[in-house]
Amino acid sequence: MNIRRISAVAQKEWREIVRDKVFFSLAFIVPVAMMILLGYGLSMDVENIPLTIVDYDRSALSRDYAYRFIGSRYFDFKGYTAHEHDLRVLLTDNRVRAAIIIPPDFEKNLLAGRPSAVQTLIDGTFPFRAQTTKGYIIAINSAVSMDFMTDHLSRTKGISIQKARELLHPVILETRYLYNQSLKSIWSLAPKLIMLILMISPPFLTALGVVREKESGSIYNIYVSTVSRAEFLIGKIFPYLAISLVNAVILFLLATGLFGAPFKGNVIVFFASTLAYVCCTTGIGLVASVFVRTQTAAMIVTSIITLVPAVLYSGVLIPVFSLEKTAQVVAHLLPAMYYTNIVTACFMKGTGIAYFWQDVLVLAGYAAGLMILGYLLFRKRTSS
Amino acid sequence: MSSTSSVDLLNWLRRLHVMTVKEFLQLLRDAVLLIFIAYAFTADIYLAGAGVSLQLREAALVILDHDKSASSRELLSRFMPPNFRITGEASHPRHAMDLLDQGDAMAVIDIGPAFEKSLISQEPATVQIQIDTTNSVLGFLASSYAQQITGKYGLEIALKKLGAAGGNAATGPVILDDHRVWFNPNQNDAWFMSISELLTIITLFSVLLPGAAMVREKERGTVEQLLVAPLSAFQIMFPKVLAMTTVILIGCAISLSVVIAGIFHVPIKGSLTLFFAVTALYVFTTAGLGLFISTIARNLAQVGMMTVLVFTPMLFLSGAWTPPEAMPAWMRTVMYASPLHYYIDTGFGILLKGAGMDILWDEVLEMALLGSVIFGLGMWRFRKQFE
Repeated sequence: MNIRRISAVAQKEWREIVRDKVFFSLAFIVPVAMMILLGYGLSMDVENIPLTIVDYDRSALSRDYAYRFIGSRYFDFKGYTAHEHDLRVLLTDNRVRAAIIIPPDFEKNLLAGRPSAVQTLIDGTFPFRAQTTKGYIIAINSAVSMDFMTDHLSRTKGISIQKARELLHPVILETRYLYNQSLKSIWSLAPKLIMLILMISPPFLTALGVVREKESGSIYNIYVSTVSRAEFLIGKIFPYLAISLVNAVILFLLATGLFGAPFKGNVIVFFASTLAYVCCTTGIGLVASVFVRTQTAAMIVTSIITLVPAVLYSGVLIPVFSLEKTAQVVAHLLPAMYYTNIVTACFMKGTGIAYFWQDVLVLAGYAAGLMILGYLLFRKRTSS
Repeated sequence: MSSTSSVDLLNWLRRLHVMTVKEFLQLLRDAVLLIFIAYAFTADIYLAGAGVSLQLREAALVILDHDKSASSRELLSRFMPPNFRITGEASHPRHAMDLLDQGDAMAVIDIGPAFEKSLISQEPATVQIQIDTTNSVLGFLASSYAQQITGKYGLEIALKKLGAAGGNAATGPVILDDHRVWFNPNQNDAWFMSISELLTIITLFSVLLPGAAMVREKERGTVEQLLVAPLSAFQIMFPKVLAMTTVILIGCAISLSVVIAGIFHVPIKGSLTLFFAVTALYVFTTAGLGLFISTIARNLAQVGMMTVLVFTPMLFLSGAWTPPEAMPAWMRTVMYASPLHYYIDTGFGILLKGAGMDILWDEVLEMALLGSVIFGLGMWRFRKQFE
């Protein structure tokens, strides 16, 4: 290993990057644009669900009941529908995602102290949205039921409404939200976006950088030079690592500055862990680049092995414990999950390194493993 | 006169044919690329459908039961799958907090020592739940499930007591909730995830492949040969898109028959012919986007970065993984320019809902319009850049 040769390779690579002004700017624009677009747009919240109501009863009570849904911020009321036959087209065409059918005699039954069955139709194409919508409807229905029960009880027993309500609610659940008391989505999301973007961008940069030399043939200069494999790879990766680290700092500033996410942990620990993570993702790009010969293949390979797993198996949308067994195994094999733990600990929980040193260790080991693998697979001979 | 024009047409078609053969050969000779295309359309879709669920399932719950009575056990036994799973018992609040900090528990439920006694003496019995809301949406869901469970438990106890005193629950003035979930009655996540993943993969390939094929010609200088050949811009661009579309449609057919219908048993309700026709239209539209990128980019590295810049927001914000209704209004407006937005509606509409052209005509029309605008822009830019 010779530091001078490494720095020569690094300098050559750096110049190549900087002289391609468009590429150089995109290396910084892409992460920032993704952070801003996804930060404002990506949300797992289920709100404004388009809703229609079929009211066969047309009574004062049914209108009151309908208003519970119309007034809710979770639903976006699209108007009454005359008959339930029309609902199929509305649901199939995505004009509504849920429909409520209030039966005739709704008012009569309830006022007489009898139950009334209300039918709800939900568009199930997106199970998560359907499940949440169902949750909202059940919650509204049970609140309405509770009001009727309380009313009924106080009338039949001759006790006050207050007393009746207490009788029907013997168990009180006190909920405490930890780490994100006001349930701000963006506070949860912004730190995880750092994970996501640093998963996508560095491998892309690195794989393109290495494969570019292969495809254009300039790598033969390296094959015949005195630069060793390790020197070449280290020098080659170094500029991309530096760009990615600068991006990490920018993303951190956007998360805390623009989106106001609280950062409760130790900045030095956080960036040390981030370095390990960026080495990992750069390493993924390196290993991918060894396998492919064309830049097109490099782009496809890196985007498939990074983008989709980073969304699905990292805990950004779904926590790892909610995954099936096989998917949990996949999650543990990829670096994204470990970094998500670190990001969550540093931003939201404010716990110290004692709580996540294992994650840092795994990332560092992963990075080292990938670099060694890249080194072993990289040959200074063409195979054919 | 008519014979010369038919010879012209024949020549025109022959040139188109030669170019198409060239594009196919070039694509088929990149073995690694082909292997990954095959992987993406099969194993990748299988992985996404098999294990991933966006719902809150089996939230890890740790219990702190200070009462250890029949009533507290009864309440705790209701926190069970699919929504919760009791993963352990903490001996001390501090221990519970540690489990939350480490991420080993998502919620801790704390039942005080006088729980049963309060229930018997008709005093309000309080139960505490602490929820990790680092993921705010799931934290909120967990809290509303816990609320439902305790509310139902409390009501049952109350009614039992009142029942002894003469009240009657079954015929009380309540709303009997009768909900039906259409199009995916059992809320099978595999149906949604596998189709979503297929649409994602199709999008990725149709943005990237044609654009990359174009820039590769620029980078290697072979585009100069094409420009001096008797070929129009259309004859250069169209075969590239045609080759990619064929490969993507074949991949799509394999994925639908083997993985989506074969392994996940998704009932394909609508017309497959319509689905493939819409997919072909979509691939053309999106390929236009890739070609447009290729006219701006000078080398493949630039194409790669620009693709990420266009593809990622398109993917995340068109509703492939997240419910689009909750996005801010201005963002939803921007997404009308994303072909994927229409493709998701039509794709799910045909496959799961059995929708036909009578319902989907407006989405298809909008996609076609968007496609011709993008493709036209791409052709115009292509001619312009060499003038």
